Amino acid sequence: MASIDRRDFLKLVGAGGVGTGAGFMLREAIKHPVENLVPYPVPPEDFSPGIATWYNTVCSMCSAGCGITVRTREGRAKKIEGNPSHPVSQGRLCARGQAGLQVLYNPDRVTTPLRQTGERGSEDWLPLTWTEGLGQLSARLGELSSSGQGGAVCLLSEGQRGHMHGLFEQFIAEIGSDRLVYYDYDHPHPLLAAMNRLFGTSRLPYFDLGNTDYLVSFGADYLGSWLSPVHHGLGFGQSRQGRDDHRGRFVQIEPRMTLSGAAADEWIPANPGTEGIIALAMANRIVSQGGYQGDDVDAWAVALEPYAADAVAEQTGVAAETVTRLADTFAQTGPSLAIGGDGAGRHSNGVDALTAISALNYLAGNLGIEGGLIFNPEPVAGQGAAARHASYRSMLELAEDAREGRIQVLIVNQANPVFTMPAAAGIGEALARIPLIVSLSSFMDETTAMADLILPSHTYLESWGDDFPEPGVGFRAGTISQPVVSPLYDTRDTGDTLLAVAAAVNPDGGLTAVTTEEYLRQQWRAIFEGDGPAEAAAADAQEAIAAETEEAAVEMAAQDAPEGAAGDAPADVEVAAAQVAPAEGAAPTDPDPAGWMPDAFDEFWNSLLRAGVWGENTRAEQGPVTVDASVIDAIGVDAPEFAGSSETYPFILQPYLSMNMHDGSGANLPWMQELPDPLTSVVYGSWLEINPATAQELGLRDGDLVEVESPDGAVSVPVLTFPAIMPNVVAMPVGQGHSEYGRYASGRGANPIEILSSQMEPETGSLAWNATRVRLNPTGRRASLVRTSGVSRDLGRGIIQTTATAEEEHASTNLRSIPITVEPA
Amino acid sequence: MGVSLLPTLKLLRPTAMIVGVAFVGLLFGYWLNRTFVPGTEPLQPINFSHQIHAGLYQIDCLYCHSNARKSASAGVPSVNKCVGCHELVVPDRPQIRLVMEYWENQEPIPWVKVHDLPDFVHFPHNRHVAAGLECQECHGPVETMDVVSRQAPVEMGLCLTCHRDHQVEFGLDCLTCHK
Repeated sequence: MASIDRRDFLKLVGAGGVGTGAGFMLREAIKHPVENLVPYPVPPEDFSPGIATWYNTVCSMCSAGCGITVRTREGRAKKIEGNPSHPVSQGRLCARGQAGLQVLYNPDRVTTPLRQTGERGSEDWLPLTWTEGLGQLSARLGELSSSGQGGAVCLLSEGQRGHMHGLFEQFIAEIGSDRLVYYDYDHPHPLLAAMNRLFGTSRLPYFDLGNTDYLVSFGADYLGSWLSPVHHGLGFGQSRQGRDDHRGRFVQIEPRMTLSGAAADEWIPANPGTEGIIALAMANRIVSQGGYQGDDVDAWAVALEPYAADAVAEQTGVAAETVTRLADTFAQTGPSLAIGGDGAGRHSNGVDALTAISALNYLAGNLGIEGGLIFNPEPVAGQGAAARHASYRSMLELAEDAREGRIQVLIVNQANPVFTMPAAAGIGEALARIPLIVSLSSFMDETTAMADLILPSHTYLESWGDDFPEPGVGFRAGTISQPVVSPLYDTRDTGDTLLAVAAAVNPDGGLTAVTTEEYLRQQWRAIFEGDGPAEAAAADAQEAIAAETEEAAVEMAAQDAPEGAAGDAPADVEVAAAQVAPAEGAAPTDPDPAGWMPDAFDEFWNSLLRAGVWGENTRAEQGPVTVDASVIDAIGVDAPEFAGSSETYPFILQPYLSMNMHDGSGANLPWMQELPDPLTSVVYGSWLEINPATAQELGLRDGDLVEVESPDGAVSVPVLTFPAIMPNVVAMPVGQGHSEYGRYASGRGANPIEILSSQMEPETGSLAWNATRVRLNPTGRRASLVRTSGVSRDLGRGIIQTTATAEEEHASTNLRSIPITVEPA
Repeated sequence: MGVSLLPTLKLLRPTAMIVGVAFVGLLFGYWLNRTFVPGTEPLQPINFSHQIHAGLYQIDCLYCHSNARKSASAGVPSVNKCVGCHELVVPDRPQIRLVMEYWENQEPIPWVKVHDLPDFVHFPHNRHVAAGLECQECHGPVETMDVVSRQAPVEMGLCLTCHRDHQVEFGLDCLTCHK
């Protein structure tokens, strides 16, 4: 070995040193990072790390009121499922309900009270403490209230039900105002009005899809967006696959195929706004063929005389023989059911049309029977809520009042009229005239962005509340909505905020509760004491049932019970809950109720929270229903009126509620943005559905950007050819096109509501939002549509196999196994 | 081949030596770290001695780590459990005062994990306790340790050997642990 000189030696020493250091650090780097094991100072009673706790509460993602059960671990909500014992959801839940976690964990939540320091809309927000925020609001309300101007305070909220409605009512009364306004874009005003006119009921009835043998749906997308999609989905499955001997058949009549249309056995395109006329033609056929034998048959015959099937065929676009076939099957199949909603009610003749459609159930004898239309009893609480729901007309009046300076303070709670009202209504400009706008919303939506003061509310998973579903399920049912996690941010329960303000404005007022929980307990105590004795007797049973409920929830999560409660027919639902039969005058078993009541109530309350549902499980017998003679005389559906002339604006625009975004409130949830639309497979963005023949005529193809112009505005949106839409109709999903509402929603797509004209249904004043005509101006530009499917057609690959609905299929006994055949070409 | 590689190799010899020495240094450094900075006995916020509690006073493991019986994670006792005894037992010792300080402030004690499995491994304590396994089989003779250190290499081999020896049903199935 050669001798090493000094330089080499130094080099080697250096190399050795660097190597050693690198080796040391290498081992340091691949070590596990230090993790802490952090115990509670005092653990909650039912808490064990590593074990999930399920809490039952109510979904607030739409107004259906599904009972849900939320899996939490170490105090964090992890997964939402349907509550198996809840009569509406029966253990199932829709995609939007599942995405409720992203409401809770949304990075765009308003996390602390804020005060606008710059001009409105400048977004110069100054964080406040709750004391300051509540103080500022209370001070202003106190001033107005004490000077007798309380009436200038308006509380504009999303729809409230149950005792929360009572709380809102009491709050506004304490302030000395009567301006409590609920605003939901899709509130079924026409359907409620039709039910009231025909049957004199102020509630939505229960449509028993699960037991019906023949369903004719006029425009109602019962699987996608209409009233209670999860429950309807259960009924759909029950009717088609839940019975061994036969299956129900489903017909959908609408100008543009909805999800329900795609799932139906028969889809019949009809001209927009003529659904009611088709129903009357069916009614005419039923009466003229002797399918209806009631005492008032002559009156019906006279009223329906102008609506012979062949007389209206041209107007409706449905052949006379189709209508007569539907009518004959409808009358001869029992039980059958006709439902109408969504598109059928969103026209100038909406109430008349829905009345005509509901009358079919009367004529075919489907009222009050299983598989038909069942009337709902009055809910235990929140009866007056429906009257507070503002129609489009009342919102215009509100805007007028704002312009005239009759509103000094506007408190907005989760409602977003700036987004969900047409630009023609000028609501944004009207609200800007109000001196003080306070928002209680959890997100910076378009309306909240205009606010001067934001007092952010908890999300529904952090709040108290209760709910009596509307439409109900034919019997009384209610649920407490309880927080499943501690609040993530410096937000407050909406009820707590209102109670605090009410107490500051009117310390001697009737609202004695300090928290929403306390308020609810007061209200439920009244229910409990009304039903007390029966409750006491059933106390033991409740314990067992509630335990079963928890077990069921856990089992469901483990996917051990795929059938579960959901396989049952809604009528057979065993509401495994704190079942409280009406007292029926039974004498209390304890002569001194004061002694045991508090404990018994606590037990009742806890069992309510545990079970997640309260109510009955049997339907009361319903007496015969008669329709007033004047209603029969007046029955009739006028031709729909559209905004814009057919020469200038050749197409009828059908905005429809997207399953994902609903009325736009779901647009800030990434899961909903990336969930492909069930019919078009588009993710993100907006699109305009147009018939391929029309597109060819206009020289448009998929992805061409067109300007959709109505008499009241224009939006730009890419074209998507969609075969299942009538040639004179174009459709756009509602929900995108936000300018605010967080990073996932804003600046994406276009909002079709914006360009609607103020066409209204005259009786209810609700917006006829399928009654605006548009024209399409090609822009020559293109936009990329993000779709998960390549080609919408089969191209001879035999992917979608079909068979004609032959007579023998109807007669087949077990239709679970329909042989799928393809006719040789 | 007319060209000789030898001159090139001669030229590279000093470089090769440097690389070789550096590599030996790398191994040495790694060994140094492994031997002298093992990281298996992390510094805890309180010098809690298992030797005293579990060894001298023979308190059952499951008295404090009661979750091991019913949950995947054994957990550490909540602060109120410590205080429950130490309110009466030697409340004046300096380390106990530290505990009391956490208790008075209602703050949790940020213990450092000694045994930590990666997130892709599912290890349910309750099943192993139910199978009658002694805690010591994985955690070592904790009752003799003043400062708890990781004794067994908590790696897949340990799991598989034990599952094989005990003939655990589906014990060698990937999805038993990785799910």
